[in-house]
Amino acid sequence: MPHTDGPAPELFTLDAVTFVAGGRPILDHVSDHVHEGHVTAIVGPSGSGKSTLLRMLNRLEEPTSGSIRFRGTPVRELDVRALRRRVGMVAQHPAMLTDRIDDEVRVGEPDLPDADVDELLAKVALEHIERERRPDDLSGGEQQRLALARALAVGPEVLLLDEPTSALDRRAAESVDAVIAGLVGMGLSVVLVTHDLQRASALTHDALVLDSGRLVDRGDPAQVTYLEGG
Amino acid sequence: MESTTANIPTWLGVAASATLVLIAIVISWRERLGLGREVAVAAARALAQLALVGALLLFVFDRGGLPAAFGWLAIMVAIAGFVAGGRARGIPQARSHAWWGIGVAVTMTMGILLALETIDAVPRVVIPVGGMVVSTAMVTAGLGLQRTADAVDDQRARIEARLALGLSPREAFLEPYRTAMRTALVPAVDTTKVVGLISLPGAMTGLILAGVDPWDAIRYQIVVMYMLLGAAFMAAVLSARLAQRSLFDDAERLVRTSH
Repeated sequence: MPHTDGPAPELFTLDAVTFVAGGRPILDHVSDHVHEGHVTAIVGPSGSGKSTLLRMLNRLEEPTSGSIRFRGTPVRELDVRALRRRVGMVAQHPAMLTDRIDDEVRVGEPDLPDADVDELLAKVALEHIERERRPDDLSGGEQQRLALARALAVGPEVLLLDEPTSALDRRAAESVDAVIAGLVGMGLSVVLVTHDLQRASALTHDALVLDSGRLVDRGDPAQVTYLEGG
Repeated sequence: MESTTANIPTWLGVAASATLVLIAIVISWRERLGLGREVAVAAARALAQLALVGALLLFVFDRGGLPAAFGWLAIMVAIAGFVAGGRARGIPQARSHAWWGIGVAVTMTMGILLALETIDAVPRVVIPVGGMVVSTAMVTAGLGLQRTADAVDDQRARIEARLALGLSPREAFLEPYRTAMRTALVPAVDTTKVVGLISLPGAMTGLILAGVDPWDAIRYQIVVMYMLLGAAFMAAVLSARLAQRSLFDDAERLVRTSH
């Protein structure tokens, strides 16, 4: 994947982001940035605070101290619903919220025309699926891709993905990776949390390595120091 | 005219009925259920509590008038809110939500019945009828709050998935809210459906025991069933809506509940 020439503008800027839960620091003065148009991976062992950091980017969590800016504006100053529509999120095991494929795509955008639903489903390689099927009956990989379509329906500029493929078998994971790569090719920025940087490195421009809530390394995914499963 | 008033038990009759408590204690002892002491305490409590309530009612009916009757209802609402709110520990200010829900339900229900002159504005009517309303409102508000608290635990991922799509807390909570309300209110609807078929309800039983013609007694019971339906829906929905507001913070995040 081509890197842009020169430094890409900063999409998210983290300044001494700290999160304390139950007296325990989950994130400890994390300062860094996420570039526009890049795929940025947040890696680290479980419990290192990576999901918490991801959830702060659309304000499902709030830092105990420190600040996060989105395109230069502190996220606290943005309307939270507008922020969440610009910064989409897909969970590791996305909950299916409706009884039909097309209703699922429309959860965040109820008036979306049929043609747009079709287009979104094509983007996530689900164009073949019958619209009246129950989302709960789809395979894990298909549900993950449907959740991507649902997130894309509201027109986000960034997607936050929490372990998008870790619960999937290899083929399903590859199908999801291919969809993500396609979206990045169309100019979408992606921040993804993973414990398996090797798998994600083909997709990734930057990696932020967290350990016990501290940022211990950052940079080219092929060069950062990261002990898998550590 | 022949008195239709049934023979109300004398205190001697009450003492005689205590034989049945003795039977319960003997059964517990013979079967080694270990409940003998509790049965004795329960029976004594029932006697003491009802004697106290009887004395208070006597006083209110004779001297207190309507203000005392409404004061009585207010105390019942306070206790009911405390009980119903205690069922939902995960919800911030649950007792306050229950108080508001029950209080408004009771005020509206009694207000409508009194304004339409369906029931008499005298303590002898206001207190027992109000008591039924408070009791139903307490059960449904408590159930509704409890189910709402469960939804926060069980459906956090679904609620957050909707928030993450930019939906409002109200929209994100709609599905668990509706499920909670149906669960809380179905018993009230079912009770109304089968009234008279499975059990003769309390108000009607009481009126019949007191010698009222069954055709008159059922009219009262119909009013009771209708008012309890209305009170149940108002109490459950209002307390759950208030609870919902307290479940999201300024940044429209679902609060963490810890049980």
